[in-house]
Amino acid sequence: MISYCSIEYLLVFLPVVFLGYQILPRSVRRYFLLAASYGFFWYLSGPLLLWHVAVCLCVWLIGLRLRNLLEERDAAVKAAERSERKAIKAQCAGRMRRWVILAGVICFGILLSLKYTPFFVDNLNGLFRHLGIHVQMKVPSFAVPIGISFYTLQAMSYIFDVQQEKLEADRNFFRLTMWLSFFPLLMEGPIARYGTLAQKIWNVDRIQGENFQKGLWRILYGVMKKMIVADRVNSAVELLYTDFAKYDGGMVFLAAVLFTCQEYMEFSGTIDIVIGTGECFGFVLPENFNQPFFSKTISEFWSRWHISLGAWLRNYLFYPLSMSQPLKNLTKKCRARFGNHYGPLVTSSIALFAVWLFNGLWHGAGWSYIFFGMYHFALIVTGSFLAPPVIAFCEKHNIDRKNFLYRLFQMLRTALLVTIGEMFFRALSLKYGLLMFARMIRQASLQSFADGTWLKLGMDLQDYVIVALTVLFVFVISLLKERGCNVRGSLYAKPVIVRALITGLMVTLILLFGAYGAGYVPVDPIYANF
Amino acid sequence: MERLYEILEEMQPEYDYHKETALIDDHLLNSLTVLALISELEDEFDITIPAVEIVPENFNSAQAMWDLITREMRRR
Repeated sequence: MISYCSIEYLLVFLPVVFLGYQILPRSVRRYFLLAASYGFFWYLSGPLLLWHVAVCLCVWLIGLRLRNLLEERDAAVKAAERSERKAIKAQCAGRMRRWVILAGVICFGILLSLKYTPFFVDNLNGLFRHLGIHVQMKVPSFAVPIGISFYTLQAMSYIFDVQQEKLEADRNFFRLTMWLSFFPLLMEGPIARYGTLAQKIWNVDRIQGENFQKGLWRILYGVMKKMIVADRVNSAVELLYTDFAKYDGGMVFLAAVLFTCQEYMEFSGTIDIVIGTGECFGFVLPENFNQPFFSKTISEFWSRWHISLGAWLRNYLFYPLSMSQPLKNLTKKCRARFGNHYGPLVTSSIALFAVWLFNGLWHGAGWSYIFFGMYHFALIVTGSFLAPPVIAFCEKHNIDRKNFLYRLFQMLRTALLVTIGEMFFRALSLKYGLLMFARMIRQASLQSFADGTWLKLGMDLQDYVIVALTVLFVFVISLLKERGCNVRGSLYAKPVIVRALITGLMVTLILLFGAYGAGYVPVDPIYANF
Repeated sequence: MERLYEILEEMQPEYDYHKETALIDDHLLNSLTVLALISELEDEFDITIPAVEIVPENFNSAQAMWDLITREMRRR
């Protein structure tokens, strides 16, 4: 599959789009960008593009209907007596809700039909077999448009925001479509809200030198992460996850660590390329990562990893559910009974269960993904449950929770829990994930490191050294960012010759140490299939 | 507003609510505390806070919370 790191994208598509964008007159520039986005989509998904157009049309028309209803409501409220206003608002809210449900049925309906039907049919067949019912349905197989899970959430965020009057529905179909199809966002997000992005893209201001330079550095940094680390460890990850039964627990743990490293470098690297591309144009795309491996708890991890998905789930699922009247009533009762911490924990656990079921299923139609969601749900609820006794324990034993060693312990613990979760995420199936976990525990051994097995996984010592040094480099950059240092801003302040040298050095490092050519199979964009 | 400060200090006493302006952005209040706080504010001020108002800017400081409360009281 083509990725944002491919030669076609970086050396052909992107330069042509930058050049065309810069030389075309402003009046045509935005349509050129839209055509480039749809051209990119067509290149990746062919006629499946029509599903995307259907979603754009759906949210555009329903958005306009919601806008009309709100205008009618405002006019009616203005003309009505004070006593009648509440009823008019309630009536409008009810009518809007029906349109929002229709949008949800269409957008999520397309997503569910294309992506999840085979999973549901397969499981239904299994259930029938289990119950002794002699009915077996043919498991269908559908081609799925690229990034369908991303643009569906993005489209629904627009409908919810219009319903909640956070923004006014757009009358301009092309502006809305541009935001939903902007080519850097298509494959792996981030899920950008209409209000933060649509108008910026539509303004199509000329490319500025500073933006372009900083954007280019961000793109190269992303390419480094992807090509030097994610692609280099790919053969070992493939081998270990397929043939884990041949190796001891130490190697299974190595598989989990390498995949976690690969996934972070691939996903965050791609997001660097995406955000860097936006920056070249002068658009500020939302960040999707905020140094996640500095997190002290799993909750914090999810506020730093795939931020845009977490924000979507929090805004459109967790809070609406938690604030629904039945759960609000339950919160009140539980607070009275269990106090301010454990009371809301009961109700938020119900909302969190829905959030993590959705999160797991969003990642893929498979039990391993559902398990991945439930694993994190269990960790977050357990973490919240144990928080008060842990604080009490620390206070009793004079343990300073702000102490560096304590925070380091928390970070390592969180990283370990995340790594174990990623093992289930990457495993070929839930059964294989459980078998891998069991093997890691029961056959825990360092023998494979002592006898050199770890160097026979398609990675030699040089590969491990290159990966380790690049990870160290990314760690140092992350540490600087964590401390509030604006790395690219500081570099841009240097003389032009130094800036050119930095760019040249980054390109040289990619050319020298990137994993490409014979012997390497680049990893497919991990999140593009979601 | 004094009552709001009391509620906040009862709920999570370790912060200076007269000074803090990034309670949500700096992860000082988590979603559990926010849910408990909303429940308490609704009871205390006889208001209903809709889900759409649960955004960081409404809970980042005591002043922002007070603005939200007065807005919802007017809407009653």
